[in-house]
Amino acid sequence: MADKQTKPADDDAAQPKLLGLLAQFPDADELVTGARSITDAGYRRVEAYSPFPIVAVDDALRAKKTILPWFVFFCGASGCLIATLMVWWTNATETTVPFSGYAFRISGKPYFSYQANIPIVFELTILLSAFGAFFGMLGFNRLPRLSNPLFRNERFQQVTTGGFSLMVDADDPTFDYDAVSAALTSAGATFVEPIYAETEGLRVPGALFVPGAIVAVLALIPPLWIAASASGRSELPRRTIWYDMDFQPKFKTQTVAPSSLFADTRAMRVAVPGTVSRGSLREDSEYYQGINPDTVAGVPRRGAQFASYLAEDEPASDDGNADEENAEGERADPAAQPAPEPEPNWVTEFPKEFKVSQQAAERGRERFNIHCAACHGKGGFGDGLIALRARELQQSTWVPPSNIHTDEVIQQPVGKLFATISNGIRKMPGYKEHISVEDRWAIVLYVRCLQRSQNAAKSDVPEETLKEIQQKNQPAVAAEAAADESPAKKEPPK
Amino acid sequence: MTTAVWDEPNLVQGDQTYQTITDTVCRIAENPRPPLAWFIAFAISSSIAGVFGLLIGYLLITGTGIWGNNNPVAWGFPIVNFVFWVGIGHAGTLISAILFLFRQNWRTSINRFAEAMTIFAVVCAGTFPGIHIGRMWMPYYLAPYPSSGLYMWPQFRSPLAWDVFAVGTYATVSVLFWFMGMIPDLATLRDRAKHPIRRVAYGVLSLGWTGSATQWRVYEKAYMLLAALATPLVLSVHTIVSYDFATAQLPGWHTTIFPPYFVAGAVFSGFGMVLTLIIPAREWFGLKDLVTMRHLENICKVLLATGSIVGFAYITEFFIAWYSGNQYEQFAFMNRAFGPYSAAYFTMFLCNVISPQLFWFKWFRQNPWAMFVVSIFVNIGMWCERYVIVVTLSRDFLPSSWGVFTPTPIDIAMLIGSFGLFFTLFLLFCRFLPIVAMSEVKHVLNHEKNHPHEIIEA
Repeated sequence: MADKQTKPADDDAAQPKLLGLLAQFPDADELVTGARSITDAGYRRVEAYSPFPIVAVDDALRAKKTILPWFVFFCGASGCLIATLMVWWTNATETTVPFSGYAFRISGKPYFSYQANIPIVFELTILLSAFGAFFGMLGFNRLPRLSNPLFRNERFQQVTTGGFSLMVDADDPTFDYDAVSAALTSAGATFVEPIYAETEGLRVPGALFVPGAIVAVLALIPPLWIAASASGRSELPRRTIWYDMDFQPKFKTQTVAPSSLFADTRAMRVAVPGTVSRGSLREDSEYYQGINPDTVAGVPRRGAQFASYLAEDEPASDDGNADEENAEGERADPAAQPAPEPEPNWVTEFPKEFKVSQQAAERGRERFNIHCAACHGKGGFGDGLIALRARELQQSTWVPPSNIHTDEVIQQPVGKLFATISNGIRKMPGYKEHISVEDRWAIVLYVRCLQRSQNAAKSDVPEETLKEIQQKNQPAVAAEAAADESPAKKEPPK
Repeated sequence: MTTAVWDEPNLVQGDQTYQTITDTVCRIAENPRPPLAWFIAFAISSSIAGVFGLLIGYLLITGTGIWGNNNPVAWGFPIVNFVFWVGIGHAGTLISAILFLFRQNWRTSINRFAEAMTIFAVVCAGTFPGIHIGRMWMPYYLAPYPSSGLYMWPQFRSPLAWDVFAVGTYATVSVLFWFMGMIPDLATLRDRAKHPIRRVAYGVLSLGWTGSATQWRVYEKAYMLLAALATPLVLSVHTIVSYDFATAQLPGWHTTIFPPYFVAGAVFSGFGMVLTLIIPAREWFGLKDLVTMRHLENICKVLLATGSIVGFAYITEFFIAWYSGNQYEQFAFMNRAFGPYSAAYFTMFLCNVISPQLFWFKWFRQNPWAMFVVSIFVNIGMWCERYVIVVTLSRDFLPSSWGVFTPTPIDIAMLIGSFGLFFTLFLLFCRFLPIVAMSEVKHVLNHEKNHPHEIIEA
């Protein structure tokens, strides 16, 4: 099957087109020397073939450097850009256009930051660069090219094993069969032979292309039709690809299940006897909520909220967002609220589970200084470090913490104070997850102590303490001490 | 007066020519009757792979309840096997890319082998998260494809999404790198092929490669660029795999040592697997002149270095746990070493830290049997390392949520099954593709012929 012609062919009309002259060389060094002498002779369309890359032959052939690195760089830069845009579009934007992104916040982190996206951007940069290198290599080499007249030459088949060949193209402007043949022989070639274009071989009949294309297009229709009918907006029943995704066998709570499933036809099962659900043991509302039990059932928190929703529906009471706050919460500005919700019946005495004692007050002071003083200040005047800092920065959204020494707070029953600590108020968060019930009552006690300390009469101070204070103050500011209701040592009420 | 001269043994031994190298390598793929050992090995590994396929089918029908995964250890064996197999893959890229960039000529006879190992290991690795995603017939949900009406995209700030991109890119680039390296050798097989089917198959695969100087010029540049791209890529892959753990706020996981420690461990395990595969392969396929004792010795030295890095990391973890003063961290590590999984921990320590230290002694670096045994130890040890890291989940902050992870027989069968898949692919590779990069070995041979090693006496 190989063309074994070694002599110049006759000028026959049937002779196929001459492509060039192929010469064999014994080894890599001879190939380089031969290539150099051929290019020195003025031939430019020369190509060397070898089983492994020979660096010196590029110079001998006077070959230009490849621009592949620039192509790879361009691909890598595109990968970087595409990845950045993709991450930004899909995770940081949200519009109404088709294929819109979906902006969702994770752990309070920004929607878009380059740090979190380095891995994705890096990987896509590498991926597209690698595609550039691989497909660029094929493209610049015009591969794949499965048919090549050289492959029919028996000697050329030795190239990939251990042959070294040089081919002078017939397209070369100075190509002359005898001159080139002589030049190659004198350059050290062991064998020179002509290569002709292929004249025979199997070809795909052209008539097959059109039917082939039609079949290929028709084959696309069924999957596209299924995809369209599974997601379209047709009024006909939707065709499903994943049946168990569209129709999931399940019963929702509060629905009726077939009696074959459960005898009582309830989809939601009642709790197993003896189950204790979370928080269900906290029935003592005085201790756990600060509300007298007789009113809990009447106006519980949820009930009050529900009542306010009903009121909102009526056109007469146009009170907007009046029910935003908890029912037991105090109002920032009560006058602005047209329809204050009914207050629960707060307990006014400390519940019996909580023992009022000096120890408890000390515990309360400790907890107050840990949890409350940062905003409310150690004295409760609403001058904690955070409050001071916020005032200094003139934070517009900052709601100043309450001063517990105002009449309004002093008049609040202990139950309400307890509820405020537990559930929060305005911007203040609830602390029931952080502070135990016992400790919350201790803080209430300490708040009462603080309030008492600022509003104590001289008669509240025990005789001995009063004397001590007077003795201390006498030498320095006797006059002041006499005028002032001297600050009393805090003491638990009752 | 004589001076001692560094005398390197030749990388290609025996009286070799281009023709003999080609014959040695191509004979393996051309032989109509491969050795009996191949048939036996193929029968065993393909039946194990078949069992793996059946188990995946069972999993599809039944669900992940057939595994031992439970509430504290939600990841279980699939993630252990995933990390293990991805790690194995690293040696291939390291040998191919990094040693290429450092002009380490000794890589040429083993790089093809190692690259193939990389790809088959990544296939096994990709299987495990693929079958662990719940609805495993919808893996395309992992990709950011524009879905009409769903408005759903991957969450790109999650390390699990990074994993998809890292492993996907790694698999793609490894295949490109492997295939591109094979094109000239496939052309050799094409030119030698007698049977028309083989001729057409190798002809299509070699894409019409002629070996012209123009082609080599672009090819060499592309190969160098791919190596330069694969080098940071291979370091990034196990780094990102380690982010799966390190970005979780769990004691024993939330550490900055994970990325370097994972990469070193990956290289370590990968070289262990290279040794496991190449020692029998050079024996069976008669490649002792191409894969010489010097190659094996170099692999042993890499194992010694990376094994010591891994050992250092284990000790550093303990030190940092103590130094941090964090009682949860301290407990996590005490629990690793002395808790219910202490057997796995000490197996890991013995196999990964102690056993490669034998390679300090030349005898161990020269004896294929000793090397083979140590390489098996390394494989076992590195699997145990991932197991130890994952089962740390069983005891985290709250004793009330503690649990014990016990693998089911299905778990173990699927681990073994993945080895069956790996070896099946590998045996097919050995049977039909050029297992040594002939063109590169010929390049080295040409270099050595022109620059012979001479013992210079002065």
